[in-house]
Amino acid sequence: MTISRRDVLLGAAATAALMPLAARAQTSEVVIGLTYPMSGANAQIGVDAQRAYETAADIINKNYDFDLPLAKGEGLPGLGGAKIRLVYADHQGDPQKGRAEAERLITQEKVCAIIGTYQSAVAVTVSQTCERYQIPFISADNSSPSLHRRGLKYYFRPSPHDEMFSAAMFDFLDALKKKGNKVETLALFHEDTIFGTDSANTQLKLAADRGYKVVADIKYRNNSPSLSAEVQQLKAANADVLMPSSYTTDGILLVKTMAELGYKPKAILAQAAGFSEKALYDAVGDKLEGVITRGSFSLDLAAKRPMVGKINDMFKEKSGKDLNDNTSREFMALIVMADAINRAKSTDGEKIRDALAATDTPGEQTIMPWKRVKFDDMGQNNDADPVLLQYVGGKFVTVSPAQAAVAEAIWPMK
Amino acid sequence: MLTVETIVQSLASGLLMGLLYGLIAVGLALIFGLMDVTNFAHGEFLMIAMYLSFFLFAFFAIDPLLSAPLVAAALFVFGAVVYLLLVRFAMRAKANAGMVQIFTTFGLAIVMRGLAQYFFTPDYRSIPQSWLGGKTVSIGGIFLPEPQLVGALVSIAAFAGLYLFIHRTDFGRALEATREDPGAVALVGIDKNRVFAFGWGLGAALVGLAGAIMAVFFYIYPDVGASFALIAYVTVALGGFGSVFGAFAGGIIVGLVEAVTALVLPPSLKSVGIYAVYLLVVFIRPRGLFGSM
Repeated sequence: MTISRRDVLLGAAATAALMPLAARAQTSEVVIGLTYPMSGANAQIGVDAQRAYETAADIINKNYDFDLPLAKGEGLPGLGGAKIRLVYADHQGDPQKGRAEAERLITQEKVCAIIGTYQSAVAVTVSQTCERYQIPFISADNSSPSLHRRGLKYYFRPSPHDEMFSAAMFDFLDALKKKGNKVETLALFHEDTIFGTDSANTQLKLAADRGYKVVADIKYRNNSPSLSAEVQQLKAANADVLMPSSYTTDGILLVKTMAELGYKPKAILAQAAGFSEKALYDAVGDKLEGVITRGSFSLDLAAKRPMVGKINDMFKEKSGKDLNDNTSREFMALIVMADAINRAKSTDGEKIRDALAATDTPGEQTIMPWKRVKFDDMGQNNDADPVLLQYVGGKFVTVSPAQAAVAEAIWPMK
Repeated sequence: MLTVETIVQSLASGLLMGLLYGLIAVGLALIFGLMDVTNFAHGEFLMIAMYLSFFLFAFFAIDPLLSAPLVAAALFVFGAVVYLLLVRFAMRAKANAGMVQIFTTFGLAIVMRGLAQYFFTPDYRSIPQSWLGGKTVSIGGIFLPEPQLVGALVSIAAFAGLYLFIHRTDFGRALEATREDPGAVALVGIDKNRVFAFGWGLGAALVGLAGAIMAVFFYIYPDVGASFALIAYVTVALGGFGSVFGAFAGGIIVGLVEAVTALVLPPSLKSVGIYAVYLLVVFIRPRGLFGSM
């Protein structure tokens, strides 16, 4: 085909005619990219995340009477009532696919911000890509402490990282010890990607600082077909506290294998992940009475803050599940991001970044047990207080810290 | 912490797991031996079998042990259908036949995984209560989980049955003959397609049996086949492509090597042992331990 002058003119005219439409579209809609594992071993995480983000977008885009940024009124008032539109990308838990998908979201889908990614290993590449394109990135549910220490300007994490989580876990152990419980030896059991390794490194350091003896430090390959050799070593060590950092699949296999090899740990204190997931308790909940996991969310908060219960109901209607450690953090991440875009009054990456950096939201205006949302110069919110939850009678009960606890911890577990 | 007890326990766990690896892998070896086609959807066959056990349990409360023959039968039909509807046509390719077969079964794997994710959701399922689930036999401090113990017995029985079938029945001999020379068997009136369809059915039924037993003690989700398929490929390559006995021996070797490696190296490196042994075999005896090519 040859392009005549007439074609060019026609094309130009058409483009001109469409221009105002395009400009209008830009202000009536704010596009935010979400990248999650939607296929592969952790696909369910992505599906649940999608429901959490839909719930948050619903609250932002429609009028709700919640004391939450952007809940009242429709859309973003700072951008003339523009609505949030979410675009999802599947990174399959693979850091390289994460990089490619982030690039596609930015260049093809024209998103003005990205939120993700569940696996910390993927957050590394996604956040680097965002930095290069000057697009703000919120780590909704990545807990690896090394993430915010890379000097990235466009990286933000409203929720706690594993050092904060682990510190809370050791504070709890210290308190138990003071009450006269025998808590001296620990066994670490962690998977071999950045999440498990960072978590174990932090725990090793804390254990050394606070005088606990680590009698086993077992790093295993994730999605292993069998964990019997690993469990056997845990059994031989028979520590006072077993501390797993595992995703759902390995968590289920760990608990099943422990039962098969006749190992009943005295207590389990888990670094969430798989141990926050309903699927794990559906599978092996009967063997986990009294397990304690760290978390960033507690449904017990609904008693003090009724909106938490209402938002949980909205989420449950979509997903059939209660909000958990992951989905609550995902929900908050979108609220924090949308609030910053609203204050920036722009979809420009740098302006949103500056607005994010200036965020100061009191804890009462979140669904979390946090003091507030305020980022330090590395993009980490240090006022996000973690909680510890104990699985008792098929439900999670907050047992620590003291100001959030609703019950005494049962120790050792049954 | 290397005590006699931990060593014996490791070897016992490794042996039980190895027999199961053998049962998973034998279908792959059988199909390859019969017609030189590698089924890249083998792990997905396993996944379907596990889901089948799960649904039979969830909807009809049939214990996985009881439903195992049903699952194997269903997989037999499925395997034969896959041959008749897909592989048969892939084998007709005039150019690059090997590639076409790889892409066909690989494509099938992706489709099956996608459909499973769509229809069954990617959520992790498991069978919480069953006759064997969570039960364990303890002999002098050595724990033998009942599901794996029964799995190992089923595996030995299946291999014995397979041996008798191939060597003692007419159809088994036809299977062997077709494998030796498909052209010649056509001359004596054996329908090649029927034999191949039967071979696929049998291979799928065996992995179906493995899946039914694994459903008792493993979690179930659309990608569950991937890590087992990888082990199955190594098992078959180690034992010798096409050799049914090789798959049996290969499975046991893989299981034991994995368990022993975990004793001396950090557990995250336990597959290193398997691949090291595999490399060694490839260097010394490229057709595998019991391969006859």
